[in-house]
Amino acid sequence: MSYIEEFSWDDITPIPQNDGGNDAIAPIAYDDDYRIAMEYLRAVMKIEEFSERSLKLTEDVILMNAAHYTVWQYRTRILFALDKDLEQELVWVEFVGQKFPKNYQIWNHREVIVNKLDNPIRELPFIEVMLEIDTKNYHVWSYRQWLVRRFDLWATEVPYTTIMIEQDVRNNSAWNHRFFAIFGRKEVPSDEVVSDEIEFTKAAILKAPQNTSAWNYLTGVMKKSGRPLSDLESFCLTLSNPSSGFKTQDLDITSARSLEVLADIYAEKQDIPKASLAWTLLAEKYDTVRENYWNHRKSQATAKILGAF
Amino acid sequence: MAAQYIPEINKVHNQESPLLDSLVTETSAAQNGTARSCEGLILEGQLPVLNRSAHSQFLQIPLKLALPSAFTGLDASKPWLIYWPLQALSLIDPASIPPDYSARVSASIFACISDTEGAIGGGNGQIAHLASTYAGVNALAISGDTKAWQALDRNRVYQFLMAMKCDDGGFRMHHGGEEDVRAVYCALATATLLDIMTEELVQGTIEWVSRCQTYEGGIGGAPDNEAHGGYAFCGLASLCLLGNPLEVIPEYLDLENFVRWLSARQYQPEGGFSGRSNKLVDGCYSWWVGGCWALLEGIMPSLKMGWVPLWSKADLQKYILCCCQSPRGGLRDKPGKSADFYHSCYVLSGLSVVQHRYRYVDGAREKTLSNWSLSWDYSAEDSAVVEVSVENQIGALNPVHVLPWGVAEKMHDFYAAYR
Ligand SMILES: [Zn+2]
Repeated sequence: MSYIEEFSWDDITPIPQNDGGNDAIAPIAYDDDYRIAMEYLRAVMKIEEFSERSLKLTEDVILMNAAHYTVWQYRTRILFALDKDLEQELVWVEFVGQKFPKNYQIWNHREVIVNKLDNPIRELPFIEVMLEIDTKNYHVWSYRQWLVRRFDLWATEVPYTTIMIEQDVRNNSAWNHRFFAIFGRKEVPSDEVVSDEIEFTKAAILKAPQNTSAWNYLTGVMKKSGRPLSDLESFCLTLSNPSSGFKTQDLDITSARSLEVLADIYAEKQDIPKASLAWTLLAEKYDTVRENYWNHRKSQATAKILGAF
Repeated sequence: MAAQYIPEINKVHNQESPLLDSLVTETSAAQNGTARSCEGLILEGQLPVLNRSAHSQFLQIPLKLALPSAFTGLDASKPWLIYWPLQALSLIDPASIPPDYSARVSASIFACISDTEGAIGGGNGQIAHLASTYAGVNALAISGDTKAWQALDRNRVYQFLMAMKCDDGGFRMHHGGEEDVRAVYCALATATLLDIMTEELVQGTIEWVSRCQTYEGGIGGAPDNEAHGGYAFCGLASLCLLGNPLEVIPEYLDLENFVRWLSARQYQPEGGFSGRSNKLVDGCYSWWVGGCWALLEGIMPSLKMGWVPLWSKADLQKYILCCCQSPRGGLRDKPGKSADFYHSCYVLSGLSVVQHRYRYVDGAREKTLSNWSLSWDYSAEDSAVVEVSVENQIGALNPVHVLPWGVAEKMHDFYAAYR
């Protein structure tokens, strides 16, 4: 353990862990290295020691248990108290991140450091490395949103999601980020931008017509920009034409999601028979595990119409 | 219920959708692998028995033995390591909880209280954390140790909750920590159990939670974040802690879009829930998504949304019993994964949702802050909805607090008596 090798700890009395008595629930049989390091950690945290040796100690503990949020928070306080080189800290965090790609404490830590440093230069490249390891890492995408907003980095974002979506058109995190990149800014996107998004998404849907991520994005964009869903009717009909009902060949229906949107369009137009046919097809053939939901949609739409008379 | 028309909905869907896109990507390859491995375990017309004794043995480990050093990664989650097995055991085998556990639980939780902050941290000597506080208070509630309840300094816990409150109405997890909807849920659930809810504590919070709903309909960890099953439960349960669910849910959520997204979480042929669009099914979402259904079912009849569940309870039961039971005891994410206490807790809590019908009883209690989540009732689910064999029956729970039935009410009322 480098904290022991590099520094003297003679003046510190380690504080043993109190789990709540000898018959505590769920004690952990730690390795000695971890147990002893934690005993020193409790001791220096108690006296709020902000020093090179306590900084080294946090490094050793994090490498043994990166999920230990207290150590991260203590580390931040030491870094700030000693006025340490924060860029060097970011380099170290990159090492920890690649060693423990699922760890999420690093993202909060990084946010605090980068915020103080007031410079995002290292961030996008590191985020990209981490998203290559796990393309849907929730904490990385959330951190990216914070970063973009904090440093006004909007220009890179739509092109970046285009690349991610081309890699895997079903990456829902990339679609969500794209929605943020278009609608998350203060200024409302122009009609042209919205139309481009709709065309981009339709093209993506044609590659994989069942892809729920692209459909959610498409309907989300329509709603957010105030465009009527019925604008999508002819597009949906090219993917699913339920007009021949149950006699239809499977070839006529290539996308359950297009059937769902069609049903919504017909329901909006109060054409309940057509909407009901689409819901019935979903319930009985194309998305049967959600049968109760589709039947519910059908009965709610019918009740609404009856209520109107 | 007997007078109503009962549709035949007690059936499972073991066929994959006839529509599958030919384009292969990382996502579809993973999905295909999971569907195939589940199919291998789903037997037509046969439902395995819940291996109660093996699961119980597994869940009793933390009550009996020291956990091996491989658990060091959970050293900052000690209150969870106490809560998860207790919650799960309470559902499947309450008699197995040793009679002396109560004081042991409270001593173990009190050892996690931060000297400087007064709330509960991830372990001895760690700083206070809202998730640790939630899990720790839940464990104390299960322990029923009223001496410990008495000893808890609620005033300091309240000060900590207020210190975690952010200007925008949300909460952060710990000093210098992240702000998310889990923190909101943990703060509100804790405040309700300890009867320390105030208007000041929740000022602006309901609006903040509302902002976490995304264009997909689900709820993300914070505004603009991707819709996610775990955060969806935290958000919906937060609404149920903040006001009359019959009013606040339709007012602060686009309910139609939420239900659409929630319904899309169930996959076939697996029958289980995924946490996000185009992600894989995972046993723990049996609770995070199933818990949302429990809460919604509790208000649907009053909102004229009918009484038939909008999802397939039979299919979730199938996924849990066929795919989530580890042969060596304990429950798991999916076939090929090992069992753990977290998944055991939330898979079994999900199974409880399958077997019971929860309902919000408007006016069951005085309509005040800190009573909203305690005005629930339940009954066994109708056999027309899902057939539950007698040997698989497990306990009921409070669907807002994720505590064994009656426990949340008891703790809150203990403190309310001091008013
Ligand atoms: Zn899981």
